[in-house]
Amino acid sequence: MVGPVTHGKTPGSKAGMKVVPSRPEVRTDPAPVRGPASAMIEIERVSQTFRTAGRQAHLALSDISLTIEDGAFVSILGPSGCGKSTLLYIVGGFVSPTEGEARVKGRTITGPGPDRGPVFQEFALFPWKTVLGNVMYGPRQQGVKSAEADAQSRRLIEMVGLKGFENFYPKELSGGMKQRVALARTLAYHPAVLLMDEPFGALDAHTRTRLQNDLLNIWERDRKTVLFVTHSVDEAVFLSDKVVVMTRAPGRIKEIVDIALPRPRRRAELLLDPRYQKYVVEIERMIDDTSEEGLHP
Amino acid sequence: MNARALTSDVLLGIIPIALAIGLWQAISSFGYAPVTLLPPPGMVFTRLVQQLLTSSFQQEIASTLFRLFAGFAIAVILGVGIGLAAAASPAVNAVVRPIVRVLAPLPKVALYPALLLLLGFGHESKITLVAADALFPILLSTYYGASMVEQKLIWSAMAAGTPRRQILFKVVLPAAVPSILTGCRIGLVISCIVVFLAEMISSTDGLGYRLVTAARTFQAVDMFVPLITISMLGLILNGLLQGLRSYLLRGFPEV
Repeated sequence: MVGPVTHGKTPGSKAGMKVVPSRPEVRTDPAPVRGPASAMIEIERVSQTFRTAGRQAHLALSDISLTIEDGAFVSILGPSGCGKSTLLYIVGGFVSPTEGEARVKGRTITGPGPDRGPVFQEFALFPWKTVLGNVMYGPRQQGVKSAEADAQSRRLIEMVGLKGFENFYPKELSGGMKQRVALARTLAYHPAVLLMDEPFGALDAHTRTRLQNDLLNIWERDRKTVLFVTHSVDEAVFLSDKVVVMTRAPGRIKEIVDIALPRPRRRAELLLDPRYQKYVVEIERMIDDTSEEGLHP
Repeated sequence: MNARALTSDVLLGIIPIALAIGLWQAISSFGYAPVTLLPPPGMVFTRLVQQLLTSSFQQEIASTLFRLFAGFAIAVILGVGIGLAAAASPAVNAVVRPIVRVLAPLPKVALYPALLLLLGFGHESKITLVAADALFPILLSTYYGASMVEQKLIWSAMAAGTPRRQILFKVVLPAAVPSILTGCRIGLVISCIVVFLAEMISSTDGLGYRLVTAARTFQAVDMFVPLITISMLGLILNGLLQGLRSYLLRGFPEV
C-alpha cells in the first residue's frame, strides 16, 4: 500500500499554520518511481541547515545518503546532537531537507503520510482520548468503520499486552505502558515503515529490556521496515540488521555495520554470544572516535 | 486528591470567611459602627432569605444572570474563535495582535457611556460591556494554549492521515482546552464584577440596580443583600465551571 505521500497543498491553504511544521515546497510533478524494487527508503544527498537565534546557519546533517531495504530493521546510532532524529523527521515528512531528497517506495517524500508511522520518545499520546480512543484514531482517520476500528484496536491493545486497559487515560499508565499504547496507535494504521525516535529512551532499564523483546516479537511477525533512532549501542545491536553510525555535528554517516546475528534473537543467549560482544565493542570504539572528532575539530 | 483531603480543604477554606463574618459581627456589636449604617450579619442574612423568596428579587437575579451569561457566552465564542484563528494563521495574528494590545489595557467600563448612547439602557449595553471585559483573558489564554501545542501530537495526527486543515479542530483545539478553561474561569469572575458594575451605573433592574437604590435611600440592610447575592452566584457559577473542567480534563495530567 502506498499512502498519500505526494499530496500537494492547495494555494493559500494554511500557508501560515504556525502550529504545524514547515511544509516542504509544493511538488506537482507525478512522483517518479526509481531505485531497486526492494528499496523501501532512499535518502539521497540530504543536508539540513538550521538557523539559530544568532542568525548563524547550523549544519545539522551533511550529505547523507542511505538506502533501507524493505523489511529491514535499521538503527541510526550517534551521540546526541548528531542530527539522527532530524534524519528520522525528514523520512517522516515532518521536516523538509535543505538539500537532497528522501523517497519512500520510489516516491519523493513531501509530507507525513500513513505509510510511515512515527513512535516518539515522548509518547505524544492524545491526553483527551482513552487508550482505545488513541489506538482507534488512525483507523478512523483512514475511514475504517467504527465497529471494525474498535475490534481491530482491541486486538492490537491485546497484542501489546494492555488488555483490560482500553478505557484508561494515558495519564493513568506508566511510561512503558504509554509507549506500548503509542506503538499500538501507530501499528493500527498499518504503516509500511515504523519510524522510532529513541522510543525507549525515557524508560527505566528493566522496562526498556521488556519493550525491546516485545518489539522484536511483534516485528518478527510481519517484518515491517523499521528505522530506529537510539544512542544505546546495546539496543542497536540487539534489534537491528544494520547499524548506521553517525558522527557528531555536522551529522555524517561514519560507518554502516551489518549485524549478522541469527534471528529470532533471545537476549539471554545474545549477551553471552562473542559475536554480539564484538559488535558492541567495535561500534563503541567508532562512537568514541566520533566524540574525539567532535572535541577537536 | 481523595475525598478526605477535599473535605479538609473545604473546611480550611471556610475558616477565613467565618473570621471575616466574625469581624463584621464584632464591629457592629461593639458599637464601632451604628447598626443603621453597618447592620450585623445576622440581620443581613435574614433579610437575604426573605428577599430570595420574593418574586421581584428573583426577577432581579434573573436579569443579572441573563446579562452575565449572554455576555460571557459571547466572550467565550469570540475569544476561543479569534484566539484559535490567530494561533493558526500568522496573517490573522498580525491583524489581531495590535488590536488586542491597544484594547486589552483599556478600562472597558470607560466605553460604557458610549455603549449606553449607542445601545440604550436595556440588556444590550450591559451584555456588550460584559463581553468586552471577559473577552481578553479568554482570547489570550486560547491563543497561548493553541500556540504551545506539542509539535509531536500534531505530527502523530498528520502521520495517521489527518488532513492539515483538520488539525486545528482534531488536535489543536482539544489540546488547548486546559488553558482555554483557565481563561474562562478568569472571564467568569470578571463577568460577575462587570455586570454588577454596569447595573450600578445605569439600569432599571438587576442586582446592581438594587444596591444603588438601597444606598440612595439609606437602606443599609438592602444594600448588603445584592452584594452577598452576587458573591454567592459567583461561587456557584465557579463551582459549575469547575465541575465542567474536571469532566473535560479527565484525561489531562493534573497541574
